[in-house]
Amino acid sequence: MSVQQAAEAFVELADTLIDDFDLVDFLSQVTHRCADVLSVAAAGVLLTDQRGGLRVVAASTEETRLLELLQTQIDEGPCSDCFHTGRAVVVADLSTETERWPRFATEAIRTGFHSVHALPMRLRSDVIGALNLFGRRVGVLDDETIRLGQALADVATIGLLQERAIRHRETLAEQLQTALNSRVVIEQAKGVIAERRQVDMDQSFSLLRNAARNTNRRLSEFAQAVVDGTQPA
Amino acid sequence: MTSDHAARIWLRIGVTARGEPVTVGHACAAVVDDVGADGAGVTVMASPTVRETIHATDRIATELEEWQLSFGQGPCVDAFADGGPVLVGDLDRPDYAQRWPVFTPAARDSGARALFALPLRVGAIRLGVLDLYRTKPRPLTAPELADALVYADVVGTLLLESARRGTDDAPPDWPRDDPTVDRAQVHQATGMIIAQLGVRPDEAFARLRAHAYAHDRRLGDVARDVVQRRLRFQPDPPSDGGRQ
Repeated sequence: MSVQQAAEAFVELADTLIDDFDLVDFLSQVTHRCADVLSVAAAGVLLTDQRGGLRVVAASTEETRLLELLQTQIDEGPCSDCFHTGRAVVVADLSTETERWPRFATEAIRTGFHSVHALPMRLRSDVIGALNLFGRRVGVLDDETIRLGQALADVATIGLLQERAIRHRETLAEQLQTALNSRVVIEQAKGVIAERRQVDMDQSFSLLRNAARNTNRRLSEFAQAVVDGTQPA
Repeated sequence: MTSDHAARIWLRIGVTARGEPVTVGHACAAVVDDVGADGAGVTVMASPTVRETIHATDRIATELEEWQLSFGQGPCVDAFADGGPVLVGDLDRPDYAQRWPVFTPAARDSGARALFALPLRVGAIRLGVLDLYRTKPRPLTAPELADALVYADVVGTLLLESARRGTDDAPPDWPRDDPTVDRAQVHQATGMIIAQLGVRPDEAFARLRAHAYAHDRRLGDVARDVVQRRLRFQPDPPSDGGRQ
């Protein structure tokens, strides 16, 4: 990681927040920047579903295995612990945690990850979700990199507040639920495109996002149109 | 959603139903009790203009649904359009008179002081809205909101199932104990079936669930087969909705 790279990432994310933007698209950019700037293999954002669980809203790759791994953390895993305690969870070697998180640790190792960090997304006294960082090698990120990761988690949180202000949503609950539903619309649209173009889910997401950008439309609105059949894809 | 929470709420509705098949009416009665609301209504919407109130617990709830349908404005209308809930803890706040100039005074005349509109949606599939009201201004607390959201999930499931089976009183069997319902692959598979059959999203989702039900499999497992292209849905299918 270079200072230059980190600065560029924050400038780019701050730029996005000025304009009309799509929250899921923004969170997906944050996870991409995490992977680049923090030199981790993969990153994902989980938000509270406000029913006591967590749901995946963005990931640095849309590979099914990563999404599924992130989602195993409804009941157990570093994100779940981080969300419930509000504190960062750092795991240098997942093979030592198979008793603590039998399902998550086994699944993560099988996917090729050996270390994991979970950083809280905090808003005043509430924890609204967590940022997950996965490494392919055993070991922990240094303090400076963790601080940078936490700053990226904070930017992700600001994105939620900012989109709410732009769309005149009254409560954070309204915003969170809208984001979770947008994520479902995007999964449905990925399916439509994967079938029509015979591509995998990761490629399908790229096609979807590029098509939305090329037509200057918000990702979730574009995805809705693809699923409704009003937008050819 | 944690499955314990959902199971507890299904149980509550089951108790309210007293052994009869569970309906939207039972869910409305139970949610009113559980979240400290004074009434509830459910409006099913096929589109912003095609909609019908299928249940309202009392006069005020009936009127609230009527005002929104006839004026084309209100929290329920916004929730349907936006995909997220609209939570109004105090209807007397001046900005609501601006946001819904015709609806707000009518709702206050009816006696409502707080309104909570929860969309019944599965991604792009829009089913309708569950509306709750209070006669005194007070926002939903976090536990009340958690319950209300799970009730909205339950009402959505009841609507999906009654559409699939063509009857209002057939209780769904799978959602209470199937933890795979929320998996990303379920929604991806729905999208693939839309493209395979050229059908609307609600029908694609119904076909996926019908297949799981007919083969006594979990929804997430059937969805994985679709996503991994081991199972394709054919137009004009046999009665089970798919072929292997």
